[in-house]
Amino acid sequence: MSRTDVLDREVGRALSALSAAAKKGLGDPALAELVVIRASQLNHCAFCLDMHLTIAREHGVDERQLDLLAAWEEAEGVFDERERAALALTEAVTVLTAGFVPDDVYATAAKYFDENRLAHLVGLIVAINNWNRVMVARRIPPGGYRP
Amino acid sequence: MTTEETVAYTPEHPPRLAWAQHAPEVYKAMLRLDTAARRGLDPRLLELVKIRASQLNHCAFCLDMHSKDALAAGESVERIIQLGAWEESRHFYTEKEVAALELTDAVTVLTGGTSQAFGSGGGFVPDEVYERAAKHFEEAELAQLIAAITVINAWNRFGVTCRMVPGHYEAGQHQ
Repeated sequence: MSRTDVLDREVGRALSALSAAAKKGLGDPALAELVVIRASQLNHCAFCLDMHLTIAREHGVDERQLDLLAAWEEAEGVFDERERAALALTEAVTVLTAGFVPDDVYATAAKYFDENRLAHLVGLIVAINNWNRVMVARRIPPGGYRP
Repeated sequence: MTTEETVAYTPEHPPRLAWAQHAPEVYKAMLRLDTAARRGLDPRLLELVKIRASQLNHCAFCLDMHSKDALAAGESVERIIQLGAWEESRHFYTEKEVAALELTDAVTVLTGGTSQAFGSGGGFVPDEVYERAAKHFEEAELAQLIAAITVINAWNRFGVTCRMVPGHYEAGQHQ
């Protein structure tokens, strides 16, 4: 049985507005792609991975970072402290069913991002989680993204 | 003397971050998304879905809000309580509600499994779960249900990450 490809137009527009507002407020397009790709890995969203790996390459994100993102914790020397703080927060906010967002993860993120940037970073993680769910639930195949 | 007077509860924790004030455009988009996703869905069913997702994501603020909203909308205490074990209390719910709850669980727990071959424990939304939902919801309604599940997941993430404080919500405040 095939799944629906229906996504209410206004839902789609509101979701796009959410992503755009979060990304703009974060003000770091390369970091935004790392965050979005890592969440999509955790949520197994093929469509989102395909789309954001394409965008990341357009933004000139380091290939080595993209290659090692799935094992970023062990990839010494590939991600700086700020990127690591953002990725740790991404994992914690994405895997909520395993329990809360630890104080140390939050505190480390708050060290590298002021409250304004942090609110937008959280917004970005929430937004990609929302897209991941919308795509995975409907089993939207990868390859549909056109730059 | 009632016991209420002598009970000393643990102190309330403060929130971590006033995210909506720091990211007003993000908050505005969330409100727009919420309004769009709820269109065409039975409000009673929607509250059940929201409470169930909030249980899975451990969002205390969201549980406080949606249990109060559900009660105010005439939902029974029993049906709210049994949501925590709905698989064993299916007879509290209609077939349609059960299908929606099953889909809620699947769409909420996307992480955990490494691949579909590992069976339960997260990862993807199983075909049988999707098919049961598709039997009870026609396509446009199903698309809205999926959207609504993703949106409560979004609110849960803000609530938990920013440690929004439960207990102060009054029914209908955000409707």
